[in-house]
Amino acid sequence: MHEWQYHPAPDLDQTLVERLSDFPRQPQMLDYALRAVAHLLLFSWMRIYHRLRISGRENLPETGSFILVCNHTSHLDTLALLCAFPMQKIHRTFPAAAADYFFCSVPRSAVSAILINALPFDRKLKGAESLVVCRELLANPGNILIIFPEGTRTTTGEMGRFRSGVGRLAVDTNLPVIPCHLDGGLKAWPKGRFLPRPYRLQLSIGEPVDYGHPERSADSVRNICQDLERRVAELGRCIR
Amino acid sequence: MSISNALSNDIFLTYVVIVGVLLLLAGSILAVLAWRGIHIEPVWKTYRGWLIMAPLVLGVVLLGREAFIVGVAVVAIFGFKEFAKATGLYEDWWLTGLVYLGIVGLCAVSLVEDPRLGLPGWYGMFTALPAYVIPAILLVPILRNRAKGQLQGVALAIVGFIYFGWMFSHLGFLANADLAYGYLLYLLFAVEINDVAAFICGKIFGRHKLRQNISPNKTLEGAIGAVLVSLIVPFLLWFSFPHFEILHLLLAGLVVGVGGQLGDLVLSYIKRDIGIKDMGTVIQGHGGILDRVDSMIFVAPIFFHMIRWFHTIYYA
Repeated sequence: MHEWQYHPAPDLDQTLVERLSDFPRQPQMLDYALRAVAHLLLFSWMRIYHRLRISGRENLPETGSFILVCNHTSHLDTLALLCAFPMQKIHRTFPAAAADYFFCSVPRSAVSAILINALPFDRKLKGAESLVVCRELLANPGNILIIFPEGTRTTTGEMGRFRSGVGRLAVDTNLPVIPCHLDGGLKAWPKGRFLPRPYRLQLSIGEPVDYGHPERSADSVRNICQDLERRVAELGRCIR
Repeated sequence: MSISNALSNDIFLTYVVIVGVLLLLAGSILAVLAWRGIHIEPVWKTYRGWLIMAPLVLGVVLLGREAFIVGVAVVAIFGFKEFAKATGLYEDWWLTGLVYLGIVGLCAVSLVEDPRLGLPGWYGMFTALPAYVIPAILLVPILRNRAKGQLQGVALAIVGFIYFGWMFSHLGFLANADLAYGYLLYLLFAVEINDVAAFICGKIFGRHKLRQNISPNKTLEGAIGAVLVSLIVPFLLWFSFPHFEILHLLLAGLVVGVGGQLGDLVLSYIKRDIGIKDMGTVIQGHGGILDRVDSMIFVAPIFFHMIRWFHTIYYA
């Protein structure tokens, strides 16, 4: 009788912390089940507690990969954006999350990796490496990347300057970028506050922007960043 | 089993004291050895694992019957997950999903009341559940209209459900017994003492390999020493089951002493066949969940049926 062939999971020898902070993660049925339950609870909480309204959902492509960019006012931004997607897409929707904040302890890593499906993004030391991970992720058709180009939450309500990462991703991947704007996040859960307050949230999803095949230059990257920044700000003005 | 019952139960409280004293004693011995410059870092790691696991297990027993049955199911689910990840079965979500469902089913029938007899735990369905889950697993390739490689997946899923799910869940069902504290705490305690005795006897007296192609570190002397220790343990813990006669005590010791080591060897050949050292990394100094409960998986059903054979699990 021939020997059976076994294919142990690549993360078998990793500790829990290593497994959670690693990317791409191995698909796990239990993780998927927990994430699905969390998505249901999250959706109910956002609809009831924050009376979340989403406009422009029809702008989200049905197929293919794309990048979603949004202003960053609070942790609610990611959660509100996740609510815009149907259940079957949440396992392929990856919000980029600051590795130094969301993956600094086991409980935070567990919530970020299992429930939110976050991609650990190193803002300080390995930004270029993180962009490579993002590019590889987007190379797989159907994956969605959520990114906050300001890099950090605003404390004043003023939208910060978009960093170059999103522009570089758009240039390298030639994928559509969807600008979004969330209103109410700063009032509901400002930086430094432990729990969110029951303020209304309004998410606007803009039309996909296709930059074609732009030249790989610093100018193209800067132009794309400025264009996206303008589009996101415009969505914000339309809400008000 | 409930918190108030546990706190007024002499058996539970005695075990808490025994475990506390043993942990303290072991810690003191290790501290002295370390102070004398003996390299014991791996044993420290294992000891630190015990410091977390012992209160956790006692805590779950303290919480009561429902918590214990659910706790056993959770361990079975994560244990099977380790097996599935090690063998590659985890890629087949249909088969792994069915096994998870089966384990949840075992947990549910252990919790509910027997509809005919009105006793806690639906024993008839507990024993019959494999007759439903195994056909369901066997149906998967038919539903998918796929044959290539299916036998391996189906066989692994059935082994996973029966061995890591059904056999191990006997431990949870034992929480329905009248003398649950005595049976459960004896089992949990004696199985671990058996493991420790095999390790220590092997280190001190080990000369001849027990099964060198399966687990080269295990020795015949370690195995015999562990069986001897396990035969004494039920006599020292007779208060756990005062209705047991001498024959029952000897059998209880034999089941733990022999069964515990067989369980260990079963997991060893599974790991050796796959080509891995540990089933996981969840418990520091111990490896995966299955590395810790391997002996219990083998012992729990045999001990359970030994009690049913001589007494019943419901009346002491």
